[in-house]
Amino acid sequence: MKAINVEKLSFSYDKQNTILKQLSFHIEEGSYTTIIGHNGSGKSTIAKLLIGLLEKDEGSIYIQGIELKEETLQTIRSKIGVVFQNPDNQFIGATVADDIAFGLENHQVDPEKMEDIIQNFAHKVGMNQYLQQEPTKLSGGQKQRVAIAGVLAMTPSILIFDEATSMLDPKGKEEIKRLIKEIHQLHNITILSITHDMEEVAQSDHVIVLKQGRIVMEGKPADIFLNDQQLKDLQLDIPFQWKLKQELEKRGITLSNELTIEEVVDELCQLRLKK
Amino acid sequence: MSITFKKVSHIYQKDTPFAYKALDKIDIHLQQGRMTAIIGATGSGKSTFIQHLNALLLPSEGSINICDREIRSDEKPKNLKELRKQVGLVFQFPEYQLFEETILKDVCFGPKNFKVTQEEAETTAKQMLQIVGLNESYYAISPLDISGGQKRRVAIAGILAMNPDILVLDEPTAGLDPQGAKDMMKLFKELNTVHKKTVLLVTHDMDHVLEYCDDVVVIKDGHIEKHCDVSSFFQDCEALREMGICPPAVIQLKEQLQQKGFAIEKQALSLQDIVKAIVKEVKQ
Amino acid sequence: MNGISLGKYLPLDSCFHRLDPRAKIGALLMVMIAIFLPAGFLGYFIIGASVLVATYLSKLRLNFLWKAMKPMLFMLIFLLIVNLLVIKEGTLLFQIGSFGIYSGSLVQTLYIVIRLTLMVIITTILTATTKPLDLTLGIEDLLKPLKKCKVPAEEIAMMISLALRFIPTLMEETQRIMKAQMSRGIDLEEGKLKEKIMSILSLIVPLFVSAFQRAADLADAMEARGYVPSQPRTRYKQLRMQKKDYLFLIICLGIIIANIILWRLS
Repeated sequence: MKAINVEKLSFSYDKQNTILKQLSFHIEEGSYTTIIGHNGSGKSTIAKLLIGLLEKDEGSIYIQGIELKEETLQTIRSKIGVVFQNPDNQFIGATVADDIAFGLENHQVDPEKMEDIIQNFAHKVGMNQYLQQEPTKLSGGQKQRVAIAGVLAMTPSILIFDEATSMLDPKGKEEIKRLIKEIHQLHNITILSITHDMEEVAQSDHVIVLKQGRIVMEGKPADIFLNDQQLKDLQLDIPFQWKLKQELEKRGITLSNELTIEEVVDELCQLRLKK
Repeated sequence: MSITFKKVSHIYQKDTPFAYKALDKIDIHLQQGRMTAIIGATGSGKSTFIQHLNALLLPSEGSINICDREIRSDEKPKNLKELRKQVGLVFQFPEYQLFEETILKDVCFGPKNFKVTQEEAETTAKQMLQIVGLNESYYAISPLDISGGQKRRVAIAGILAMNPDILVLDEPTAGLDPQGAKDMMKLFKELNTVHKKTVLLVTHDMDHVLEYCDDVVVIKDGHIEKHCDVSSFFQDCEALREMGICPPAVIQLKEQLQQKGFAIEKQALSLQDIVKAIVKEVKQ
Repeated sequence: MNGISLGKYLPLDSCFHRLDPRAKIGALLMVMIAIFLPAGFLGYFIIGASVLVATYLSKLRLNFLWKAMKPMLFMLIFLLIVNLLVIKEGTLLFQIGSFGIYSGSLVQTLYIVIRLTLMVIITTILTATTKPLDLTLGIEDLLKPLKKCKVPAEEIAMMISLALRFIPTLMEETQRIMKAQMSRGIDLEEGKLKEKIMSILSLIVPLFVSAFQRAADLADAMEARGYVPSQPRTRYKQLRMQKKDYLFLIICLGIIIANIILWRLS
């Protein structure tokens, strides 16, 4: 069973501008998938369609084998958690604890049990010291961590990050990316991240590249980055390590795939010794 | 047209129990014609600093010399409007300041506040829209109906239309996709080199600092931690880390290669330079 | 903003701060009824004394209450003048031109002034000792019985708490937009009427655009986390009435009864 299966999905806000055109893809259970594409490629629309915030024109969406319809909407929403872009606009509660409680209240969890659940998930994202804080006193990164705790508390099997790090400072970005990786590894949750961050893409299992509402490339990050010319045409960047590798290759120095900077340096040292 | 801060402090809610010192006796001299990056963590005081440049905030202590004017803490400055015309300040997410019916009208709004005639305002507005890369097909469209990146360009054109000598931008690339951000940085570089504007910009992106800026100012806890040119700034990775700045990938690579005994010139700061050095070491 | 007391919460630690918000709202309503009973000056003396004790127990300063009264002063003076001129009961005290001032009008006016003052003070005590969010929870609980008459208690409470949550955010936003437009040369103090209107438009339009954007994002976030309006939910924060809350209500009931007795005797 696939975590997400999308078949021939089309969507448009009005007749002239089709946002998504006959889009088909699937996402494996437990995988970490990234979707990239420049602004206006339709990436964020996908997230909203998957949890039924927007209504599709054509095609079908299956979440863990259940088709998304009016009747199944709430079931599907309980399986998927979404963290959105703007940290301020998704902070619903008056305090950190209230915000984590919001989803639990909607799912009619017994108030007696909430305190423990809130403590537990606040601890997981490192916010248990801030439970009584108001959002105005928190940084963007902290607000996003609260948002993550809020969706995790509803024990979803799929987490969608819709450009969740794009409004954060470098420190906040790093924290959230590390947290996403940790959640993926520890809780075996399927992750779908819509992002601009090529370092994050390099760490994922699977990449989907969108252009004007169509999938133009799909595969493992390493395979995608090999096509750097096509990425450039799509106005997308490749991670630094890959740029370096290609520059060296042009001058006859070949390195192995998927390397960190440290590993590149080690390989270069060995090449120097062999000279 | 240089900018000089002499012992400038800024205290929010002075004389109340909530008093908070955001700037602490800052001394700095910024040269005309340079493109300077202002960096610092959230809450370091950089926002407070840039709002002093066009007197949206006034110093609680000390004095500022800018555009042949002196702003002192001990006298109430007059005619700040003139200064705001000379120092164009673009806030973070400036797309949220658009309000007119059409893009052209919105860009005209600034100059018209400075008693420029309708015709003159329109001529300048059209020139500035040209510079930011929006052609005449955009003139009559509502500024609310275009993409985020384009809105930001309209907002910047709106500031440029006042024809400032100094352009100050607060995180102008925040929230843009990587290509959009690069195009934006290229625009600022062009304004700096071709149109001779002094450019100051707050940023978190060290790659942008390395690639596009001349000078760097680091603000930490309300004081100037460092002020130097870009190439000397990126030569000492250790110092960068101490200031809580993660060096760009290319600088990290250079540092690690140097530690392993690769001969790389101090001045080498681009990927091309370093690749050349690697080839020399490994192949020749 | 610092000069306003009416409606402002003061984070102190007093026995009034610790009372259940529902008990405090209930007490407010009871004392309001007592204030409107025509029990004469003795009745007002009982209420006034109780209110003074309440002020002392809630650790509020008289200065704080005075600030809350200030915005009402104009209205009180206006009422005073109208009453003096309109009511023509009792004995004629003195005459200015064709207008006479009667003793009845003085008494009536004094009643109104006392009523208004007491009402403002008790409301201020309530809002100064209760966090806005707790107040919302209290209102929600008290409105619950009205659900049978189709009053959407939970939705009203949700709306109030969201508004409270976003007030600081929107205030900050207003500041930012104001500074951004000042950088484009608007001048809110000087200039012709037409320029001023444009200046104000340049603040209001962006503020609305951004508020709508925030509202749309917020609605998405709420729906994504399983919120469905009018569907039953549980609540994390539970209010519990304790002995002291009941005792407090009994005291307030006592005030009403005393006033009813005074009214009947007169």
